[in-house]
Amino acid sequence: MNKIKTKIDSISYYDDMFLAMLPIILCASVVYSRRVILICGIAAITARVVDVAMALLLKKDIDAEDKSSIIASITFSMMLPVSIPLYIVVVTVALVVMIGKHVFGGKDVYPFSLAALAMCMAAVNWPENVFQAVRPLTKVNFWTGEAINGVSAPALIKLGGLPYISTFDLLLGNHPGAMGMSFLLVILACGTFLIVNKRITWHVPVTFLVTCAIFSLLFPRIYGVSRWYSLKYEMLCSSILFFSIFLINEPATTPKNPKAKIVFGFICGIMTMIFRYFGSYEIGGCFALLLINATVGFWDRLFENDTKESEIFNFIKKNRLATVSENSSVSQVKIKKVENKVSNNNFNRNQVKNNSLNSNSVKNAKSKDNLSYTTTLDIISRAEDSIDEVEFSTQTIDMNEALKDFEKYSKEGK
Amino acid sequence: MDRKTKIHNELLNWDDTVRKRKITLSNPVFIKGLALAPLAIAATSLKSSFILSAMVALILTPTRVVTSLITRKMSIPLKTFFYPMVSAIIFGFAYYAMYKFMGTTAFSLGLYLPILVVDPLIVKNFEKTRKESFLYSIINGLRNTVGFIVACLLIGALREILAFGTLGEIKILSVSLLPMAYNSFGGFFIIAIISALWSKMSHKYHDKLIREDASYDNA
Amino acid sequence: MTMLNAIASFFAYTIVAIGAQNVIFTRGLGLSNGLRMINDPKKDTLYFCASFSLFQLINSVLAYFVLPLITRYKFEQYARFVSPVIIVMCCAFSFIVVVFILSIIVSKQVFKKIVLSLTSASINSAIVGTIILTTSRGFNLIETIGFAVGSSIGYFLAMILISEGNRKIRHDLVPEHFKGLPIMLIYISVLALAIYGLTGNAVAL
Repeated sequence: MNKIKTKIDSISYYDDMFLAMLPIILCASVVYSRRVILICGIAAITARVVDVAMALLLKKDIDAEDKSSIIASITFSMMLPVSIPLYIVVVTVALVVMIGKHVFGGKDVYPFSLAALAMCMAAVNWPENVFQAVRPLTKVNFWTGEAINGVSAPALIKLGGLPYISTFDLLLGNHPGAMGMSFLLVILACGTFLIVNKRITWHVPVTFLVTCAIFSLLFPRIYGVSRWYSLKYEMLCSSILFFSIFLINEPATTPKNPKAKIVFGFICGIMTMIFRYFGSYEIGGCFALLLINATVGFWDRLFENDTKESEIFNFIKKNRLATVSENSSVSQVKIKKVENKVSNNNFNRNQVKNNSLNSNSVKNAKSKDNLSYTTTLDIISRAEDSIDEVEFSTQTIDMNEALKDFEKYSKEGK
Repeated sequence: MDRKTKIHNELLNWDDTVRKRKITLSNPVFIKGLALAPLAIAATSLKSSFILSAMVALILTPTRVVTSLITRKMSIPLKTFFYPMVSAIIFGFAYYAMYKFMGTTAFSLGLYLPILVVDPLIVKNFEKTRKESFLYSIINGLRNTVGFIVACLLIGALREILAFGTLGEIKILSVSLLPMAYNSFGGFFIIAIISALWSKMSHKYHDKLIREDASYDNA
Repeated sequence: MTMLNAIASFFAYTIVAIGAQNVIFTRGLGLSNGLRMINDPKKDTLYFCASFSLFQLINSVLAYFVLPLITRYKFEQYARFVSPVIIVMCCAFSFIVVVFILSIIVSKQVFKKIVLSLTSASINSAIVGTIILTTSRGFNLIETIGFAVGSSIGYFLAMILISEGNRKIRHDLVPEHFKGLPIMLIYISVLALAIYGLTGNAVAL
């Protein structure tokens, strides 16, 4: 029994995510030809190649366990039409994995949902390709992606039209649209699988869906028909369900606290609907998600309990034993000795820097415990910045002034 | 002065060296992040970045010289408004001169030329009370101007090539590689990438100097 | 009914200025000052933004009445060249007014803190840019006030988002050369991309 359990534990979140994505890819490849698999494969390979290349470039270890960019690239390709030119997929995935993930620090600490970022970039750069809607079960050229296009229901609603698709077709996904977003029953099953497996919690998706439903019931976008008719198309024919399962639950970009999750889902719902109403793109949710990802840390802090875990977290943070990002939990903290780094790296620089605070005084600053921590931190970070010569503001850091400040505060502390 | 002592002096007074090298080590745009608004939004082509750099070249140094002469004994709140006032007056003349010279093209950047008047690039950091001599203000002003012009033309040219495949309205590429370079976020994005490269280069330069210095010592 | 219309147009302009015409994310105004403020531990975002908003409101109303005076006295063809001087004068005057108001209503300690950031909040391209926008588009008084209020709220929200990002980005996993300005700009560019999803077209200069 134990053996089985450890085996299950070793399957990561991303493996389960991939497992949940598989049925959708299969459905799509039946409905929209084998080109779906080609696109997904190319997206995943690009993501992996860029991951490795960036690891080599930044002189980090190659992380074989890290599949976040692969999952994000597959999620992204599921949101595209099957007729998408391959270079768009390659360029977007490469750019997003590079800039959106590795530049922000890589696995588990990137602040924005990668798939949403990729979709937004593609939509802004090549809208005419990204918003094509291919008719299901028609002929698609495997290499060039030539296909018979229709008008997708969200586009029709955006134009002020009245869509008519039977409920059965809506549930099965038998209407023009993107590759993987319209198979509602399959997506629902996958979502249930993920929730039962405790890979995602119910908080975010349920709050999100309920908020969206209430919003579209209160402010219907389709005129001249009943509110319920509008609600049906608002919820079923566009990407809301796919969104709630695969996009807004990424562990790196969602709050950790359950209460914070509920608030996050609620605000996501409202902003998604606002972007769909007033925005200029059909996938308003992706843009809204980027905006809300920026506030995640705030919600977590708002509902933070004074548990032991957070105490330890704060202790590590205060003493700067480790480099801690707002997103990572205690288990993910990698302890690094900052002091060593400062003294070794800048050995030569300190010799030539007579005027500035050298690393010894930085160390001294750390050893004094009875100071107000924030001021010490500020001073240390300013000192470190100056040693690294990353000059950011116009106010060139005046070290003598910083030292005076520091002394003043230390006196007050006593 | 031979190279050995030169390098040694440079390293000894590293802060001064950084302050002097306005194009590379302390570029006003890429390292210090000044004048981001006009560069990220308005400098979308070589032509518009040319207009921007012409304006900066006309107003930066004169403002600096005049303010360094007059504001020596002013208190900070008075100074705060004296700087932009001087730059606004000089801007008025410069704008008129540009209008006479290139016609209504001078107005094509809308509000992004007038806001240069209060940009931290032009109104030097007034909260600091460092005094400048006459000569120093001229030299420093010219350095800042050159640093800005290099950055501005680089950004303008790069954005035009990426967004339209043209350079100075001459066709170079048949496709547009990255249409988003034309927009504001594309501007921020491109400035960020160049800025990272800039910081990398200046680090490399510093390391190189240290290595060379050490090799002289060993020899 | 006219009252209702006025209120409606006020809120419409406020919301436009917060979202689609956001000072930082669509126009990039006041970004250099904001980034300096965030990196300066002596200054507080809240006080900075509060003084900025008060200043913006008073200044835009003042400029609304003063700026048309240039065109009245045969200076029409020179208005473009003279207006920056007038705007800076308005700024200086409103600075005095704001300092006066603050010295009456807030306590001494808070006053000291606010005055620290008031200078960099008042000489700010977001202030000048908003005035140039409202005058060149010919907004009426209600619209001007609405736009001013909206842009200061927009600036405040944007600063909160950016300082939140600053908090999140400050860790050692960020590649060395991207630390500081570049990573901050990339963060801002992603947020600007999100706002672009709302407007959908490039900003008119």
